[in-house]
Amino acid sequence: MGDEVQLVSKVLVLDNSSECFGQIKQFCDQHGLVGLKVNSNNVMNVLSSNVDLGAILLSERYCKSLDDTMELAYQISEVRPELPIVLRRSSESNFDSLPEKQRKIFCRTYTIEDMSALQDVIDEYIFSLVYPNALVRGIAEMTLSVLGTQFKHLKASAETPYIVRDRIIFGEVFSLIPLESSWCRGYMMLQTEEDAVIEVLKLDDVIGGVDYATFRTVNDILGEVTNLTWGAFKTRFIADDDAGPGSTSQVPIVINHLHKCISFGSSNPQLCFKYTLLDEKIGHSISLYQRFVFNLSWSPEDFKEIQISTDDLVDSGELELF
Amino acid sequence: MAKILVVDDSNTVRDEVGGFLKKNGLDVITAVDGKDGLVKLKADPGIKLILSDVNMPNMDGLTMVEKIRSELKNSTVNIIMLTTESSPSMKERGKAAGIKGWIVKPFKGESVLETFKKLSA
Repeated sequence: MGDEVQLVSKVLVLDNSSECFGQIKQFCDQHGLVGLKVNSNNVMNVLSSNVDLGAILLSERYCKSLDDTMELAYQISEVRPELPIVLRRSSESNFDSLPEKQRKIFCRTYTIEDMSALQDVIDEYIFSLVYPNALVRGIAEMTLSVLGTQFKHLKASAETPYIVRDRIIFGEVFSLIPLESSWCRGYMMLQTEEDAVIEVLKLDDVIGGVDYATFRTVNDILGEVTNLTWGAFKTRFIADDDAGPGSTSQVPIVINHLHKCISFGSSNPQLCFKYTLLDEKIGHSISLYQRFVFNLSWSPEDFKEIQISTDDLVDSGELELF
Repeated sequence: MAKILVVDDSNTVRDEVGGFLKKNGLDVITAVDGKDGLVKLKADPGIKLILSDVNMPNMDGLTMVEKIRSELKNSTVNIIMLTTESSPSMKERGKAAGIKGWIVKPFKGESVLETFKKLSA
């Protein structure tokens, strides 16, 4: 990764107009959006398999009739209320001309001639929080390093970090650990699929001493990866003399198992990293989603990366005798 | 035979560290947190070295060390912290309680094995 980290966000593009699609794609490319074009008969399937989206761009002519398009918008809004849906209208009609019921499901409307409203949505709903480059770059580096030490036989890689508004949980197992400092308060969350981890553990001597892997093994390993990443985060980003959070306030974290949804009480977009651990010999892989949810406090202007003096540096794993 | 007590709430770490030490001929017992570690140390005078995590439920590692020093005044057990923590203030707290050393995870057994053997002899 270079010095500048370009954050992106995945958006579903529900638009059949070939004339407009080029302009929408260009807009996406210019604004850090990764557009996924979807056929109208497959929207709900695509939605359920993409749990890390930033927004939905919907054309009012996407379905056979306007009523059908509105019905689809209602369905999306019902299953993913956290995703802003932006409606592309064919005429100059503005947002206020929509019936009240529809104004509740769409956050804005735009036309292909004037995409400024879409720009506003991106700024307000997706890229509304500033994440320092050193933080984003550092998180990916230290997490890859942790994954490399815990899964020695697998090749760890990271995708471009991105912003999500989705609150859907990936996989079956996740960990949470608080991050507390003068400049941030929130959680780091790691999510993965149990079967994928068990399969890889079965086929390789990944972790020393594991005779057979069960869901408890997966829990333990995810817990340790979380612990190591948390330790690395504190070492790199939270100074020893950090005054700590000025507040002890908390909000409930609500987890809905039926809908695989987790709420931290804030509608803020979340910083997400996706890692892949690949067994190059047999082709099995593990996907790991890491999310940073600074729901209690976020002051990036006070962030600073800790400069460790080389005199004080002791490599991880080395014994520092007193 | 001298024993090493590995105190960590992570089963993965207990397996990894304990397994490595056993494979290298050392006698190992494990504890799941500081409270459990204190109980096991009191029950077994053969323990010569403790490897302990810091952040654990019920009782953290540094509190366990302080309790060992205050409740078992004659204990000469050597203690090394094995943790993700690396802050100078925590190390100072450990030093004040008389720990012998500090290792920032991940555990790299080969580089510390000889020292562990000496400290547990």
